Amino acid sequence: MITAPFTPRRTLRPGRFCYLALNVAVVIFLLAPIAIVFVFALNPTPYIQFPPVGVSLRWFEKFFASRDFMNALWLSLEVAAMTTIAATLFGASAALALARGGLPGSRVITAIMLSPLMLPAILTGLALFQSYVLLDVGRPLWGLVLGHTLVSIPYVVRTTLAVLQNFDTRLEEAACNLGAGPLRTYFEVTLPLTKPGVMAGAVFAFIVSFDQFPVSLFLVSPGRETLPITLFNYLKFDLDGTIGAASVVSILLAVLVVFGLDRTVGLRSYAKL
Amino acid sequence: MNAARSGITPIAWLIAPSALLFALFFFLPMGLMAMISLLTGNPVVQPNVDFTTKYYRRILDDIYYFEVIWTTLRIGLLTTLAALLIGYPLAHLMARVRGRTAYAMLMMAVLTPMLTGIVVRTFAWMALLSDKGAINQALIGLGLISKPRPLMYNEFSIVLGLTHIYVPYMVLTLVGVIGRIDERLEHAAQNLGASPLRAFLEVTLPLSLPGILAGSLLVFALAISAYVTPILMGGFQIMTLPMLIYQQISSSFNVGFAAALGMVLLTISLVLVIAYNRILGLVSGQRDLQ
Repeated sequence: MITAPFTPRRTLRPGRFCYLALNVAVVIFLLAPIAIVFVFALNPTPYIQFPPVGVSLRWFEKFFASRDFMNALWLSLEVAAMTTIAATLFGASAALALARGGLPGSRVITAIMLSPLMLPAILTGLALFQSYVLLDVGRPLWGLVLGHTLVSIPYVVRTTLAVLQNFDTRLEEAACNLGAGPLRTYFEVTLPLTKPGVMAGAVFAFIVSFDQFPVSLFLVSPGRETLPITLFNYLKFDLDGTIGAASVVSILLAVLVVFGLDRTVGLRSYAKL
Repeated sequence: MNAARSGITPIAWLIAPSALLFALFFFLPMGLMAMISLLTGNPVVQPNVDFTTKYYRRILDDIYYFEVIWTTLRIGLLTTLAALLIGYPLAHLMARVRGRTAYAMLMMAVLTPMLTGIVVRTFAWMALLSDKGAINQALIGLGLISKPRPLMYNEFSIVLGLTHIYVPYMVLTLVGVIGRIDERLEHAAQNLGASPLRAFLEVTLPLSLPGILAGSLLVFALAISAYVTPILMGGFQIMTLPMLIYQQISSSFNVGFAAALGMVLLTISLVLVIAYNRILGLVSGQRDLQ
């Protein structure tokens, strides 16, 4: 706001200073708790000490040696992988239909497709759980994946729609005019241009599922729980470094995902959601 | 946006799988939940099932449930307000920053917590605020206090934890909207003599109102359905609607009452979504949810 030619750039007016200081404070607020998790995970004592007395990997050993945590981690990865595939297929095709299908009332349908985002996720879990109880089917794994898929679809729909609405439809028309059929246009023009949106949506779906708590709360079967649920149950009784180690592992996984995202689709398009 | 398009194309059929999925596993279950809240038992396995309003009467007759609902809404409101106050400046900076690196670093600062997970972040706040947590230990180590101060197990700690969890959603929603506001409008106001603050308050802020509404609704909806943070940061001292619903299922297996409470939460959310759409319509004419 100070680079316009008429207002010469003055370094750090008081207002500008407050603005930047506030933002630094917000970033610290966002990142400090994450930093403390690392301290906690590497701390040899079961509680935080200041100054830290040393560095130890004992909590990581405990985490990776724990059968409960490992089973939960694998189940979470398994469910997240299935959810990602399902949500991407359903969400991306729905978005394509909404953007290019000429459907009457597509605004309303879009709102409906996005509604699991706006309605409390715990209700999605509760309603599905009650249906399973009513139908007497128990708590099957597909039921859990279904719940995760429903709350992940909005992210895929949003990212794919954003890309579809932003790119120039004249590119498709040009392909048609040059003699490509609708199918060829779709596979050689529309699909490659939509890919960043679909990919971003898929990454979102994976993260939403991997971190899903409220839906899983009702839908996991006892003894076969996802990582967030296992962590939560552990946290209710223990506050030791194992949680710190588990947290660091999931943070590193997340950073890996963001890094992969930046390499494949770029952070700019990710941010436009 | 593509106003030129009219008429249904074969691509429209691609909506069918999702439509079926939503009908069978989203709307049907919600409908069943409404039905269960009005039945005395499970009609599939029990022979004598009747309609009843006893679950709703139980909610209406006991002031305790009103308190739970009010606590839930209050926590949601405070969290939304805090997330907006904290998130807006950051979103503004991100929308206006010029360097690619600066932008990417700010984006990382927003995404890293977002990708860290609700349980992990609640744990982080427990590690900071508990009696043996970082803040108390540091203060004792510095000799400022002799006994740990109770920083957790109150409404403030719940709101603090929830704000940290949902600020990124607010920021991401706002960045898109603020980024689309032409910066030259603010420059024009400044060149006409407005101070930067006044230019912001009278130009950018009103134009970002749809984003503020969208972000606030999202954060509010997420905050009133939160379960992990209120339990762990409130230490079972403060009861919210999601906690009550889960308690009805897990400890008393009172499916009907849980359904009635679920309907209350659903009604609150629907009223909010509809009100939001109305307000948005008034504020911005016709604009999309996104």
